[in-house]
Amino acid sequence: MKSSEIKKIMISSLDTDANLSEISGKLEEEGVTYDFSNNFREKVIDRIFSPGLIINRKLEFMRSMNFAFYRIAFTGVAAIVILLISIFLMEGSISLNSFLGLKDIDDESVICLLTGN
Amino acid sequence: MIKKPYDELSEGELVAASLDGDEGAFGEIINRYRKMVARTVKGMLGDSVFSEDIGQDVFVKLYYSLSEFRGESKLSTYIQRIAINMTLNELKRRKRFFSLFSQKENDEMYEMEIADCDYNEKREASETVNKALKALDPNFRVIVMMRMLQGYSVKETSEILGLPQGTVLSRLSRAQKQLKDILINI
Repeated sequence: MKSSEIKKIMISSLDTDANLSEISGKLEEEGVTYDFSNNFREKVIDRIFSPGLIINRKLEFMRSMNFAFYRIAFTGVAAIVILLISIFLMEGSISLNSFLGLKDIDDESVICLLTGN
Repeated sequence: MIKKPYDELSEGELVAASLDGDEGAFGEIINRYRKMVARTVKGMLGDSVFSEDIGQDVFVKLYYSLSEFRGESKLSTYIQRIAINMTLNELKRRKRFFSLFSQKENDEMYEMEIADCDYNEKREASETVNKALKALDPNFRVIVMMRMLQGYSVKETSEILGLPQGTVLSRLSRAQKQLKDILINI
């Protein structure tokens, strides 16, 4: 069947007086069918009737969350350490002023900068 | 007492046996309604491993809510409601998730894996239907899916979605208009 005919069938299926069984039959003939995989039934039955599996999945989830947390935490700590080292190397100290990039600026120049005088 | 084969049991008998923990009875319910659920889930979300998971979730949820099924409506209607609610929730979840990233990934999730179509024409028909469904607004997609793929009447659609028949009719008409516009570009 041509694509234009499929389109016509699709549009006509939304008419209020459409023959729906005929339309779904035609679409099925043209390969518009839907189903799940062959072992779908077994997978569902396993999920329902094998509580061990559910517990295992929960444990697996907790384990992967733990793993993800540690990875994020370690990356964060490493980033902070590198930042502090680079500040120390560039500024010669790790005071708040050097952290904010204000080490070589005195109070008067900050006031001048802010007030414009 | 001679036990009937599962495929000869009525809906009510299957539900009662499933509530008693009979795996075979619930397996028969899955066999009877898996295609219907597949049409809903894959029609709404596309054909991917994610749809397979949602399909499983539908039946798991059905099993744990079987005690609430009073038999006032057909079991198929009850399952269809669960399937539609779960697919709409999944669409909302995806929309929230992918609004943080890019549309491209959303498209990839909807990629179709058409199962072993022997003929290019059949593949083309399937692709046309799926592309059109994908492009529709989700509120219209659910109406079109129920009408075109499931063959539900306006009355049945309104019962399943819990909408007045007038609303379903109006959405049908707007969906048809949008579908025409989409199909011109496919």
